[in-house]
Amino acid sequence: MSELIPIILDVSSYILILVLVALGLMIVFGMMGVINMAHGELFMIGAYVMVAAQNLGLPFLAGIILAPIIVGFLGLLIEAALIRHIYLRPLDTILATWGLSIALKQLVVLTFGPESHSVALPVDGSLELGAFSYPLYRLILMAASILLIGGTFWLFTRTDFGLLARAVIARPNTAASLGIDTRRMYRWSFVIGTALAGLAGALVAPIISVDPQMGLGYLVPGFLSILVGGAGPLAGVLVGGAVVGGVNNLLAVWISPVAALITVYIIAILIIRLKPEGIMGGRRAK
Amino acid sequence: MRNNLIALLVFAVLAASPVAIGGYWTGQLTAYLVYGLLAMSLSLVWGYGGILCFGQAMFFGIGGYIMAVLTKGMILPELTSSYLGLIAAMAGSALFALALGYFLFAGRGISGAYLAIITLAMALVLERLMNNWYALGGYNGLLNVPPIKLNFFGASFELWDRMPTFYAVLAVVALVYFLVTWLLSSAYGLRLTAIRTHPDRLASLGYNVLTIRLSVFALSAAIAGLAGAIFVTLDGFASPTLIGFTLSTEALIWVAIGGKEMLLAAFLGAILTRTAESWLSEIFGDYWILILGIAFMISVVLLPKGLLATPLEKLTGSKRKKTR
Repeated sequence: MSELIPIILDVSSYILILVLVALGLMIVFGMMGVINMAHGELFMIGAYVMVAAQNLGLPFLAGIILAPIIVGFLGLLIEAALIRHIYLRPLDTILATWGLSIALKQLVVLTFGPESHSVALPVDGSLELGAFSYPLYRLILMAASILLIGGTFWLFTRTDFGLLARAVIARPNTAASLGIDTRRMYRWSFVIGTALAGLAGALVAPIISVDPQMGLGYLVPGFLSILVGGAGPLAGVLVGGAVVGGVNNLLAVWISPVAALITVYIIAILIIRLKPEGIMGGRRAK
Repeated sequence: MRNNLIALLVFAVLAASPVAIGGYWTGQLTAYLVYGLLAMSLSLVWGYGGILCFGQAMFFGIGGYIMAVLTKGMILPELTSSYLGLIAAMAGSALFALALGYFLFAGRGISGAYLAIITLAMALVLERLMNNWYALGGYNGLLNVPPIKLNFFGASFELWDRMPTFYAVLAVVALVYFLVTWLLSSAYGLRLTAIRTHPDRLASLGYNVLTIRLSVFALSAAIAGLAGAIFVTLDGFASPTLIGFTLSTEALIWVAIGGKEMLLAAFLGAILTRTAESWLSEIFGDYWILILGIAFMISVVLLPKGLLATPLEKLTGSKRKKTR
C-alpha cells in the first residue's frame, strides 16, 4: 500500500497539470471554435520564463507571477495579429497556429539554445509521515493546480463575465444581437486561456526538463482530453484529463511508457470516434 | 487544356534541369520529386477530397517499410522483385487507408478539426510503434534497402546512378500527375467537388458518400505509399522518421504554401520549399525555420488558396468554381 501512494500522487499531479493545459485549450476551442496548435508552445514559454527568471536571479514567486502576464500578453498579440483574421475559417486556424508554433519553438531555440534547462526546486524538503515520504514541491504544485482549476470554474460559472462567456459559447449570434461584444469576449477568453498555459508551464518547470520540444507532449494529450471528455461542459475536461492522464501514467508504471502512449492514444481515438460528443456529452463541434 | 500545357512546361524544365545543376543537386532534386509526389497525394485528399489529414506520412512510411521488407527478402527470400515491392507498397497503404477511413467516416463519421487531431494522434502512434518494433529495425530503421531493379523483356537494370534514377522518378511523377489530373477532370472529379462542398446534397441525390470518401482516401494513400517506396530505395534506408509526425506536418506546409486546391501548385510547393530550405538554411542558419513558420502563417491568413496557386491560376486562366 505504501508504495502505491506515491504512484497515485504522481499520477494525480500529472492529471492536474494536464487539466490546466487542457482547460486553456478548451476555453479557446469551446468559445471560438479555434484549435490552437500553438498552445503547447505557450505552455513551454511559461516554463522558459522561469528559466529566464532563474538566470536573472529573480525569486521563484516573481517568475510565477511574470509567466502568466508575459504569456497572456503574447496571447493578446497573437489574437490581435493572427486569430482575429481567421475566426470564420476554423480549419485554417489549425494551420496558422501550427505555423505560429513552429515559429515560437524556433524563437526559443534561437534565444535559449536547443538544449534542455532545469529550474531549481523552490522548496527542497519532503513530507514525511512515518515510512511515507513525498517531495513537498509536488504537493504544493497539486494544491496550486486545484486552486487554479477551481478559480477558472468559479470565473466561468459564478461571475458576470462567466455568464456572458457561456452565453457566447452557447449561442454566439443570439448573444451578439443582445448586445454582447462577442469579439471582446473572444479576445479576453483567448488571453485567459494562454495565461493559464503560461502559468501551468511555470508551475511545472521545476519538476521536468525544460526544452523547446516539450509543448507537443502536452498539446496532443490535452486535445485528446477535451475530445474524450466532451467539449461542451467544463467538467468534461476533468473527466477527459483523468482518463487520458490516468491511463497513460498507470500503464507507464506497470507496462512501459511506449505501450502506455500507444494504448492511451488508441483508447482516446476509439472514445472520440464512438462518442464524438465526449463522455460528458455536450455540443458537438463541427 | 492550358493547365496541361503549363504542367508539361514544368516537367520539361525539370527534365532539362540536370544539365544546369550538376550531379549533387540532381540527386537532391530526385528526393524533392518524391516529396512532390507526397504533396500531390495530400493535395488530392485535402484540397479535392476535403479531408484534412494531419498524418499523411503514415501512408508514405507504410509504403516505405513494405518496400524495404519485401526487396530485402525479409519475408520471402525468393521474391525480391522491385515491381512486386512497389505494387505491395501501394496496395498496403491503400488497404490501411481503407480500414482507417472506414473506421473514421462510416456512420456519423467525424470531420474537420476532430479528424485533424485523430490523424495527428495516429501518426504519433505509428511513429512510436516503429521506433520500438525491433524486428523492423526499431529506432535505427532498416538499412541496405536495394535500389529499384527494372526488368524489361529479360534485360534488367538497377536504378543506382543519379541520372537514370532521376529520369525514372520524373517519369513516374509525371505519369501520376497526368493520371490524377485526367481522373479529376472526369465525372469522378465532379463528385469530389460535390462531396467537399455539399456532402448532404450528394447523398440525397443517391450517391454513396462513404464510398467516394473512402476511394479518394485510399487513392491518395496509394500515391503516398508509392512515394514512400521510391524514397527508401534512393537512400537505401527506411526509418521511423518516414512515418511520423514531422514529415506529415512538413507535407502539410508544402501543400498549404503551394496551394491545396491545385495539384501542380502543391507539387511545386514541395519542390520549391525544399529547394529554398537547402539554399536559405545556409544563408539564414537557424533563422530559416522561423522564416518558414512565419511564411506559412502569412500564406494561410492572406492567401488561403496558396502562394503558388494564385499566380498559377491567373496563368492558366482556369477559374475553379469558388467553393463556399
